Amino acid sequence: MTGSGRGPGGEPAGRLEPDRRQTGRPEGSPRRAADELGSLLARVALGDEEAYAALYDRTAGQVLGVVRAVVRDPAQSEEVAQEVLLDVWRSASRFDAELGSATAWVMTLAHRRAVDRVRSEQKAAERERRVPYASTAYDEVAEAVEARLDRERVRRCLASLTELQRESVTLAYYGGYTYREVAELLGVAIGTVKTRMRDGLIRLRDCLGVDA
Amino acid sequence: MRFRRDSRAQPVHTLAGAYAMDAVSEPERARFERHLAGCDACWQEVRGLREATAALAAAAAVRPPDGLRDTVLRAAAQTRQVPPAVPEVPAPLARPRRRLGWRPRITVALGGALAAVAVAVAVAAGVVTYDQQSRIDQVQGRDLTVAAVLTASDARMMSARVTTGGTATVVMSHREHALVFTAAHLSSLPAAERYELWLIGPAGTRPAGMITATGRGRMVGPMVVSGLSAGDRIGITVEPAGGSPRPTSPPVVMLSLAGRSG
Repeated sequence: MTGSGRGPGGEPAGRLEPDRRQTGRPEGSPRRAADELGSLLARVALGDEEAYAALYDRTAGQVLGVVRAVVRDPAQSEEVAQEVLLDVWRSASRFDAELGSATAWVMTLAHRRAVDRVRSEQKAAERERRVPYASTAYDEVAEAVEARLDRERVRRCLASLTELQRESVTLAYYGGYTYREVAELLGVAIGTVKTRMRDGLIRLRDCLGVDA
Repeated sequence: MRFRRDSRAQPVHTLAGAYAMDAVSEPERARFERHLAGCDACWQEVRGLREATAALAAAAAVRPPDGLRDTVLRAAAQTRQVPPAVPEVPAPLARPRRRLGWRPRITVALGGALAAVAVAVAVAAGVVTYDQQSRIDQVQGRDLTVAAVLTASDARMMSARVTTGGTATVVMSHREHALVFTAAHLSSLPAAERYELWLIGPAGTRPAGMITATGRGRMVGPMVVSGLSAGDRIGITVEPAGGSPRPTSPPVVMLSLAGRSG
C-alpha cells in the first residue's frame, strides 16, 4: 500500500489503481486460515478464553475495519465492534462450519450490525452528509502483511469489475447503503443496481477464488 | 412507481447480491430469507457471495486501538454464552431457516435470561412504593422502556457479583440508549444508608437513581437508566439514605456497558 493508505473501496472507482504486481498469495492459505478460525470458534463455543483471545487477534482488525467503513465515527465504530466481538463470544456455539466459513460468519455479524447502527441511529439528513469513504478512516490501516495481501487481492479483483458493478458493490458494502439508495446515488434504475450488485459479487467471488 | 414495478418484474433471486451485503430493507430481508428457506441453490449462492464480502471486510482491516483487546476479553469473561441451537424439527427442514438466523437467534437465546427480568417487571407493576413514586405516568413510561429494552434486537445481559453480597444484573440496549437494572440478595444496610446507582464514564459520573430494596435485599422493581454515553460503566455505591450528588464511597460493583471500560 502506498501513499493514500486507503481501503480498496475507498477510492472512487475511477481512481482505483491498476494492480501493480501479482501478490503471489500462497496457495490454499485462505482455506487454511478459514479452517483455523473455524476450530478456534469451536473452542470458543466451549468457553475457552484463550481461544477467544486468539480469535480476537485474527478478527478484531477486520471487524473494526468493516464497521468503521460503514459507521465512520471512530467512537461509535469502536462500540459497535465491541458488540460484534462480544456477540462472537456469546454465540460461538451457533456457528456451523457447514454453512460457511468462520470469517464470513464473523464479518456478516459485523457488517450487519454496522448497517443496523447507521440505519437506526442516523437521521436521514445526517446520512446525506456522509461522504462516501472518508480517507481518515484508513489512517490506521493495518500493516500486517496478510492484511496488505488481502487488500491488494481485493483491489485487483475489484478492478476487474465493470465500473457500475464496482460502484454498486463498494457503496453497498463499505458505504452501508441499500440498493435503493445506491440506485439514487448513481442515478441508475433500481433493477439495474440489484443485478450489478449480484453480478459484481459473483465476479468478485470467482476472482478471489474464495471457497463457497 | 417505477421502482416498484421494476423490482417486481425481476425474479426474487436477483436480490442475492444486495442481500449478501445487507443492502436491503428489513421487510425485504425477511421476504428474501423466506425465499432462501425453500431454495437451496439460492442459499448456496448467498453463501458464496458472503465469502466474497468477507474478503471485502478483510481488505478494510485497521489496527484496533490498544485498549480494545483488554476491554473485549474482560467483557467476554463476564458474559454468559448462548447454548447451541437444538433442532426442534427434522434437520433437513430446519436447516435453511436456522442458518439464516444468526442475529435473531442471539435475541431468542437471551429470552430465558430476560424472562427473569420480565418477572421482576411484572412484580414492579403492582408496586407503588418505588423510589420515584407518585409519578404514575413515569412508571408507565418506565415499563414501556423496560419492554423496549428487553425486546430490542441488540439487548444484552450482563451480571456481576456485588462485593458486599448479591448480584447486579443489567440488560442494555444501545439502540434504546437505555438499560434495565436489577439486583438480588443485596446485603441489607443500616436505615441511614442506601445503595445508589451511577453512570460513570468519559461523560462524567452521573447519579442514576437510588435502589429501593426490601429487607431481604430484593429490589422492589427494576430500574431504568437512560441517557447512556459511549464508554459508560454502571456502578453501585453505598450512600447516605438521601443520596449523594457524587459517590462518597468506593463502588461495590462495576459493570462495563458495551464492553467499554476505563
